[in-house]
Amino acid sequence: MAFVAPKETYSGKVYQVNAGTGANALSFGGENVLPFNSFEGTVPNKPLIAYEIQDIPPADWPENVQKPYSSVSGDPVTWAKFCQDTLKAKAIALRLIGTHPDRENRSPEDAAKTVKDVLSAINVPLIILGSNNAEKDAPVLIAAAEASKDKNCIIGKAQEANYKTIAAAAMANNHKLIAMSELDINLSKQLNILITQMGFDKERLITDPMCSALGYGLEYTYSVMERIRLAALTQNDLTMQPPMLADVGMYVWKIKETQAPESEVPLWGNAEERGIAWEATTATALLMSGAELLIMRHPKAVEAVGKVIEELGG
Amino acid sequence: MALSGVEIFKLLPKTNCKKCGHPTCLAFAMKLAQRQATLDLCPDVSEDAKKILGEASAPPVRPITFGTGDKAVKMGEETVLFRHDKKFVNPCVLAIEIKDTLSESDITKKIEEVLSSELDRVGQKLRVDAIALTNASGDKGKFEAAAKIISSKAPNVPVILSTTDTASAEAAVKIFTGKRPIVFGANSGNAEAMANIAKAEKAILGVTANSLDELSALTEKIKSLGVEDMVIDSGAKKAKDIIGNNTLIRRAAIKKNFKALGYPVINFAQRDDSLHEALIAAVGIAKYASIIVLSSIEKWKNLALFTLRQNIYTDPQVPMQVEQKIYKLGEPTQESPLMITTNFSLTYFIVSGEIENSKVPSRLAVMDCEGLSVLTAWAAGKFTASKIAAFIKESGIENEVKHRELIIPGYVAILSGSIEEKLEGWKITVGPREANGLPAFLKGRAA
Amino acid sequence: MLIIGEKLSIIAKRVREAMMKKDKAPIQEIATRQWKEGSGIIDANIGPAEDGGEDLMQWMVTTIQEVVPLPICLDTTNANAIEAGLKVHNNQWGRPLINSTSNDPERFPILELGAKYNAQVIGLTVGKGGLPADAEERTGIAAEIMARAMEYGVPLEDIYLDPLVLQIATSQDHARHVIKAIKMFQEINDPPMKTVVGLSNISNGCPKTLRPILNKHYFVMLMDAGLTAAIADAHEMAEALQEKKMIEDVLAGKKIDDAKKMAEITKTIDVIMGKTLYAHSYLEM
Repeated sequence: MAFVAPKETYSGKVYQVNAGTGANALSFGGENVLPFNSFEGTVPNKPLIAYEIQDIPPADWPENVQKPYSSVSGDPVTWAKFCQDTLKAKAIALRLIGTHPDRENRSPEDAAKTVKDVLSAINVPLIILGSNNAEKDAPVLIAAAEASKDKNCIIGKAQEANYKTIAAAAMANNHKLIAMSELDINLSKQLNILITQMGFDKERLITDPMCSALGYGLEYTYSVMERIRLAALTQNDLTMQPPMLADVGMYVWKIKETQAPESEVPLWGNAEERGIAWEATTATALLMSGAELLIMRHPKAVEAVGKVIEELGG
Repeated sequence: MALSGVEIFKLLPKTNCKKCGHPTCLAFAMKLAQRQATLDLCPDVSEDAKKILGEASAPPVRPITFGTGDKAVKMGEETVLFRHDKKFVNPCVLAIEIKDTLSESDITKKIEEVLSSELDRVGQKLRVDAIALTNASGDKGKFEAAAKIISSKAPNVPVILSTTDTASAEAAVKIFTGKRPIVFGANSGNAEAMANIAKAEKAILGVTANSLDELSALTEKIKSLGVEDMVIDSGAKKAKDIIGNNTLIRRAAIKKNFKALGYPVINFAQRDDSLHEALIAAVGIAKYASIIVLSSIEKWKNLALFTLRQNIYTDPQVPMQVEQKIYKLGEPTQESPLMITTNFSLTYFIVSGEIENSKVPSRLAVMDCEGLSVLTAWAAGKFTASKIAAFIKESGIENEVKHRELIIPGYVAILSGSIEEKLEGWKITVGPREANGLPAFLKGRAA
Repeated sequence: MLIIGEKLSIIAKRVREAMMKKDKAPIQEIATRQWKEGSGIIDANIGPAEDGGEDLMQWMVTTIQEVVPLPICLDTTNANAIEAGLKVHNNQWGRPLINSTSNDPERFPILELGAKYNAQVIGLTVGKGGLPADAEERTGIAAEIMARAMEYGVPLEDIYLDPLVLQIATSQDHARHVIKAIKMFQEINDPPMKTVVGLSNISNGCPKTLRPILNKHYFVMLMDAGLTAAIADAHEMAEALQEKKMIEDVLAGKKIDDAKKMAEITKTIDVIMGKTLYAHSYLEM
């Protein structure tokens, strides 16, 4: 019996989203097939990796991922320029972690100033993230969205508890918006519905189904992403067609496998290489399940994942 | 077409003789329908039924056991394209390439890396499963010599013998007689001779081609020569082709029941850059590889790949569980609060995350409830007052903390009185219903 | 269709308080109402009932049967409590129903009680650790439960197979797996096996306004699949029977005049059959 390639044609596609302005603006998403299945459809863009920086020094990052930034991470502007100019970052994700009430409790005004300063120093697309404190993120992200008006940034994360104010601010200032729910495909759909019911354009959304690290629930994120993508493609579910974010670095660089020294766990091998591999493997797995936008920390992990993306696309 | 359990049942003897190990013919038929049993267990089935059932119950991806003994690995038997639909069945085999151009001491070193690769993760023993000996020298003598080293130093490790030279293949395979090695590979030039070698030695035959068309034609030809157990290589080397071909092969087997590609897939991930290699392997693990050949097996790489393989092959129907014990969050003192919850891993991740958010050093007692969440475990009689009391008593926590206060989830407030009765000297406090209420709750108590 | 009145459950605050205080009035009031609304059996769900379960179940059975001439569905994981309840059950109003045995070895002894007291038994098609993935796995477990029932001496016509309804808000695919399982359960014996579901779990976790809509549609679809009995709200199911014709028309591809109703039925059927992804606002899309 002769082989006939069982190719699929889907009724839906993923929205293409662009970020940034001018020559360095970038698009991601836009494909009408499962991840990297270019043999049966169109994949117009490669996934985008953003380097994560933050508004205060990364004292809580493990040593091995602090190190590459030790000379620049004291100041977000220097740090951002380093990522763009030295590491050739295609995008930067600024996490305003210092605004968290349990951290430095920085004010929305302070956050706005940091955003302005970083934006004036770089020309690649900027993702602006709060501190994941639903209450504080609302005023912080409003101030940040205003400070970056018309720069076509990606603002996040809007969650069930605060989406109204954050979505309104993203809309008023012409930004894209990340909508995050906690590992639940149905709540993810619900949040996208609620946000679009406010008049927010669904083609300006990015879905964050919540990341988890390799070995710490990765398979949940993996399957939620895969199911979201299948709903977008096979059911043409318009609410599930935004591209997806994997916020990898934050979840990876807090677990034991990225921190424990080899002396404590000899069977696990070199700690630095292990940490880099952990971040890169988590990211690669989530590319397989449908992530188009990645936020990562270690330059070597970013480089390695970039190389895989090239090999998957070219 | 696969038959339903009822259709299969109609073809069975209906004697309920239990000789197959199942209580009734119906129960056996259901197992057959789910491909969790094989027809040869039934001694009384008619020849006619055998013929119909044999074809209908053949799994879409042929089950093959590679190697023998306690290090043998099962491959194939997959039934779905997406892991959320149903468990991916047999985790992919990780193999390290050993070239016959290496010196004896280098070969020995690599073998030792394989033998010492075993790790324990969440109760599972994980290791580099196999050795792929490659005839890089093109020399029969060297290939045979290297095979002998492997056979003597790693007698129980399943082996892939990679050569297209039939004489070399024949010489090497005899060293592993009775050990179910894979002879890789048969191609359009040598298929007949390779098939005869595999057949004579009862080896698995690795089949390689440059396209899926060519591959399908080859496997059909080899099958007609009497070799049933094959692993297939579509010739894909680049990540793009690995994902493309692996996807088409799996789809053809499962959705079209296309037998010519219904075999376990082998991928070659070797790269100069070890991290890059690890990520190509990750692509293969996620996307349908049954064997991945690597060029190096550093410990950090093994840990990452073993973990990914474990994650991808986790049964989505069985809740992931964490170990039953009392976890320390932050640096708790003898006065720090003690909370209890169940061992459903998502429950644990979320509760421990919120406790960490609160910055209040605490202890979290995680109790084995078969991975059920709090309310479900309570309803199922797994998270009950007497079981909680027994767990706390046996945990030894009474020696670790000075206080005698246990905080229970708000959902099981109903248990507080009963636990107090069974756990003498303890005070039970009802905590919030949802984990996100914990930071406020804990900070409120600390204040 | 046999309705097993679901309202007397320890999960409900008012019922729980009445059980704790052994206050008969609320229990009898709720039981009477369910009887009048068409229930044929009254479910008495006392939870795991580790402490005093025997007393509590006996009290429930006698309290209900004092005012309602119906058999009781004894619903707890505590086997001693079930036996205690069976001892006082008034069989002149019908045979009691035990909820439940399953493929978990802890639940095997329940079948002994079924045989000893000539009671009917619900067989929940789940095993130990992990939920069945689809209708086929449910049917596989059903076959094992049936084999065990015969071994313990419970006739198959006294077994009600329960495929375990899961929440559509978190386990959407199972909604259609359960419908298929109901059909398959009937095929694996002659005469067909009896079937039962805990109906309202389908809408557990959904917004209040959505719950009756989902419950009623699911009920009609399961009934069409041949369901024998449902643990459900009798009042709601009476309403479902009135809407049955409309829902069946839409299922058969016919148009109905009321456009709003048509949209509601179409969308709900699509969500139950897994054709569109569930979200709390699915009716608004």
